[in-house]
Amino acid sequence: MRRHAPRLGSLAVVAAVLIVLPFVLSSYHTYLAAEVGIFFIAILGLNILTGYTGQISIGHGAFMAIGGYTTAVMSRDHHTNLLVTMLFAFAFSFVVGVLFGLPALRLSGVYLALATFALALSVQYVPLQWSTYLGGSGGVQSSTTEGNVWLYGVSWATAATLFAVAWLLLRGRVGRAFRAVRDSEIAAVASGVEIGIYKTLAFAISAAFCGAAGSLYVMWLNGFAQPQEFAVGLSLSLLVGAAVAGLGSLWGILAGAAFIGLLPQVSASVPVIGNQHGLDVVYGVLVVLVMLVLPEGFAGLLGRLRVFTQGLNRESTAVKLPESSSQ
Amino acid sequence: MSINRKKLGAVLGVMVAIAIAAASTAGAAQQSTPGVTKTSVTIGGTFPLSEPSPPNGASLYKTIAYAEEAYYGYVNAPKNKGGLGGVNGRTINDIILDDQYTPSETFAKTKQLVESDHVFAIVGSLGTATNLATMGYLNNKGVPQALLATGDAYWGLCALKGSAFHPIKNVCTKPKPWTEGWQPDYPGEAQIYAKYILAHVSHPKIGVLYQNDAYGQNYLAGLAQGLGSHYSDIIGYNKKKNSAPDGAYSVGESNAQIGARVGKLEADGANTFVIFATPGSSIAALATEGALHWTPSGGTFLNNVSANRIFMLTAEGSGAHPAGVISSTYIKSQTASQFQNDPAMALGKQIIYATGNAALKHEWDIGDSNLVYGLAVAWTFVDALKHAGNNPTRASFMKALRSLNESGANKNPFVYPGMVVKSSASRTFPMQQLQLEKWDGTTHDWKTFSGIYNSGH
Repeated sequence: MRRHAPRLGSLAVVAAVLIVLPFVLSSYHTYLAAEVGIFFIAILGLNILTGYTGQISIGHGAFMAIGGYTTAVMSRDHHTNLLVTMLFAFAFSFVVGVLFGLPALRLSGVYLALATFALALSVQYVPLQWSTYLGGSGGVQSSTTEGNVWLYGVSWATAATLFAVAWLLLRGRVGRAFRAVRDSEIAAVASGVEIGIYKTLAFAISAAFCGAAGSLYVMWLNGFAQPQEFAVGLSLSLLVGAAVAGLGSLWGILAGAAFIGLLPQVSASVPVIGNQHGLDVVYGVLVVLVMLVLPEGFAGLLGRLRVFTQGLNRESTAVKLPESSSQ
Repeated sequence: MSINRKKLGAVLGVMVAIAIAAASTAGAAQQSTPGVTKTSVTIGGTFPLSEPSPPNGASLYKTIAYAEEAYYGYVNAPKNKGGLGGVNGRTINDIILDDQYTPSETFAKTKQLVESDHVFAIVGSLGTATNLATMGYLNNKGVPQALLATGDAYWGLCALKGSAFHPIKNVCTKPKPWTEGWQPDYPGEAQIYAKYILAHVSHPKIGVLYQNDAYGQNYLAGLAQGLGSHYSDIIGYNKKKNSAPDGAYSVGESNAQIGARVGKLEADGANTFVIFATPGSSIAALATEGALHWTPSGGTFLNNVSANRIFMLTAEGSGAHPAGVISSTYIKSQTASQFQNDPAMALGKQIIYATGNAALKHEWDIGDSNLVYGLAVAWTFVDALKHAGNNPTRASFMKALRSLNESGANKNPFVYPGMVVKSSASRTFPMQQLQLEKWDGTTHDWKTFSGIYNSGH
């Protein structure tokens, strides 16, 4: 019981802050906080794939695109309620995740990374090809748009829900199977774990999470889906966010999401370097720093703090998604 | 447990501190009219200050923003320092943000300008797709989306009536009273070329290279409309879809791909070549035309946003032979002999030189028409702001924008002589005149010919 109390305590703090935030932040800053929620969902999804099954993807922006366009097109053509479109985006991205995950079973490591990178590069050309239905470079505009507080509320409510879903999933058999696949495929097979099924499942789940994030992302952009929104940079940002987050800790994912969500806003006004290149320079420098100093990301930092303080006071503290070593 | 409490406490403390800091900035006193104080007016706009990926040459237009900024600097300077002392006692503060010609960036930056910087109006933002992305938002919020740096017809058509005429559903179905363009619109320009072709080319077979999005489709529709019953002179034209596939390039196609399309149009038997593109692609198209030694008997027509002298010089440097290419203009030129003693051009030169920016000075000297365009638009903004009264509101400013009368004694000094900038309740396109010009290969500059045409609405 004691082990769960700190976890609940941390969750309570985060929940309280999230509830209070829109009342103290300006409308515009609430809007920015919504974006952090959106990236939280995407990084959470990517974390399931890269952290838990050890498969690399530099292409999950593609699933955000799929989710985003699902929302825009359904709203434009059928005036579907935006929340309902998000459910469809989740489901549709899951299916595409399966379709991509199956052939990807043959690949691993660098080759899988290259395949996902190809996905990231090509996805923005799909609307250009099928421009009649997908709007081409002109984009697709939804029939309804929502305000800043709505976006904030829905993003973070979805983030909380999906975090709970991920936690439930990963603490059970599925999570153990994922970790087995990551740690040693041979041992996993020897233990009767169907690698193919679990790898594909991880792909599909992470794709679904990114699909939901993409759906919210388009809503966040005033319901306007455009190919340029889903360029390669988005997939790379997600990977950077996941690296900054580290494996599975709530604080880590929050940190990663805040990093990629807010840094562009902050670094655009860096003095000396200036508006044009501020983002690129600051982003690049920080990524290198994180890689050098915190190879395990924010979660690793917390882990190290924990080890350090355990030396003083033997307690486990961080709120984390179920981890193999602590079971 | 003690570690836990310490950590939680620290985090909670930090979050509360952040929240308080944010709240204090949020709680800044709201004026009754955002962006207007007793001594200043704050406006903002989005421009491609840097290239999107993949690059398409859009950042070549950034000199428009710098010219506008320079003009406001001149207006703000006190009278004894050679300025105008502001407008009704207020200086103009112009916030220019980079949107990399990417609509999602435009939306985010525009939202920042409106909700964080509390600007009075969005002025001069550049691009069709980019402004379409923010048109609904700005109109919902009642923020003027004024003097846009794009000639698409949507701004005029959508203003008061709303229109189903729009390739992007849901954008134009409701009237957009807070949106107004400035320059002559693209379909009108295309119609003028169509009429010229019908009058001067026998049995025209027109190959059209156009950007396959809202921007380019606008031009194509205008060309077809101008040809009337002869719309099938456009090679491969599908009237229902408003498309001509061979020349329809997508944003992001490489110069090589654009060149291939030019070759295809030549192979299709085109005797007239029309280019409705953005600078990077237009330069590539002209260069390919030169490389193929293709000289269509009916002539080559170039949209005026691609006809900036600096783009033409670049095209020549890339192997183009643009002598005889026809385009149009509606502003004065820095390099044309007819304006060598023009006082407005002298003033413009002074204003640009006063920025101290060596690159801008050089651009003026080689005839970057973006600079004159920027000065002209800024002049109209100041004109409208003056007429918005001593205590301008967004509504009074919009009213002034819809009753412009820059003609006669109040003519815009940077606009081509004889042309007016006029708007009214029914006239939602402020500029509707174009002067034809032809590229002279010996002087490497445009030479006006024929006359001023109406792009009529």
